[in-house]
Amino acid sequence: MIKPTTMSRRIEKEFRFFLNGKAMTVRAPPCHTLLEILRYELRMTGTKEGCARGDCGECTVLLNGEPVHSCLTVMTQVEGKNVTTIEGIDPEHRLVRSFVEAGAVQCGHCTPGLIISSYALLLKRPRPTEEEVKEAIRGNLCRCTGYSKIVKAVLSAAGV
Amino acid sequence: MEVPLHDVDVLVPKDVTEVLRLLSSRRGFKLLAGGTDLLVQLRSGAVPKSDLIDISGLRELRYVKRSNGHIAIGALTTFSEIAESEIVKRYAPILAEAAETIGSVQIMNKGTIGGNIINASPAADSLPPLYVLDAELKLISLNGTRIMGISDFYKGYKMLEIRPGELLAEVKLRAMGAGEVGHFFKHGLRQGDAISVVNGAVILDLDGDKVRNAAIALGAVAPTVVRAPEAEKVLKGKKLREDVMWEASRAVLKSISPIDDVRGSAAYRREMSVNYLYMTLWRLAKEVGAV
Repeated sequence: MIKPTTMSRRIEKEFRFFLNGKAMTVRAPPCHTLLEILRYELRMTGTKEGCARGDCGECTVLLNGEPVHSCLTVMTQVEGKNVTTIEGIDPEHRLVRSFVEAGAVQCGHCTPGLIISSYALLLKRPRPTEEEVKEAIRGNLCRCTGYSKIVKAVLSAAGV
Repeated sequence: MEVPLHDVDVLVPKDVTEVLRLLSSRRGFKLLAGGTDLLVQLRSGAVPKSDLIDISGLRELRYVKRSNGHIAIGALTTFSEIAESEIVKRYAPILAEAAETIGSVQIMNKGTIGGNIINASPAADSLPPLYVLDAELKLISLNGTRIMGISDFYKGYKMLEIRPGELLAEVKLRAMGAGEVGHFFKHGLRQGDAISVVNGAVILDLDGDKVRNAAIALGAVAPTVVRAPEAEKVLKGKKLREDVMWEASRAVLKSISPIDDVRGSAAYRREMSVNYLYMTLWRLAKEVGAV
């Protein structure tokens, strides 16, 4: 039998940030994560929840241009910052096209995180080596593809 | 079952002084830096729930500076910043090597050196380099400043020599000297994004192929990171030869007391400690042309 729980206090504060270039204001518990707010408040479900403990990289977003786990980023850490999610990447972007062309997508659950991580890499290193691609995506687990097509897709998007 | 955190308040002080005032005003706050360990621990229930002070935005604790043969690193400097710092790469390359291996790019972008020190995992990758570089920690509070050597800071498994009201503000390391070479090593169960089964740092002060001095520290093989004085003693004054390197690597067993856990057995950790030290000494010997 499920025991009825007593509702503890719920703290809410207001947070302002830029989501894919658009100014946002949300009211949320300050210790809730960016991932929870994206998926359950803003209904932006492109960012996936995998392990929710920083191991799988599925929830990767850019925070001020740097890839971070949105599952380990609480709202106070988002205040005033720029957030880029998969919805902020042009579907016609060469990286997205390369993933499709290389067959780097199977079940698709890891794909948004992988696109975000590789997007951040290409901003810093427009022509990365294979080793650099592997380092950049070492925190993005894929259980379908075996990674070789993903690495190929990133290199091909960079014209390497 | 995941612990819900909607009732946790997070305060965001504007500067260090305000953090210290909050810390002295009441007990029970936890400091949130990158959050890459703390949030996981709060949600799993491993750490009891409490209100947080989010210090991750305090830029004044985010720097790498060089002064008088030392390197000073602000506690909130991220591992990405440490790995990319020209000062760290030049004067403490073993710390840059360690920073590169911490979790993933996502973790390196948020995780801080201060957070790694305070979280006090015996497998923390930044700690062996800090032990061999004689790191000193600067703890500040409204009552003043305390400076403490890193090995005095850890009294046992996750037991820290820190007082209520204190904030870890800075880590100071010695710069590696001209005759010194060294490497960080790490054995995980996967090439990237893995927690260390054994990790360590080795510095050799060389005169040609003769070892003037050696500093060796290992992690994940005792309740805290440990130095390996017996192995260091074997090397001191000797030439970097096959038999010396093997004897030193075997001697590391006298300094470690590993346990069985989910990532490996104690016996496996003992074997990996010897092997990795041996491989690292060989790597250094080859790099300096001693073998």
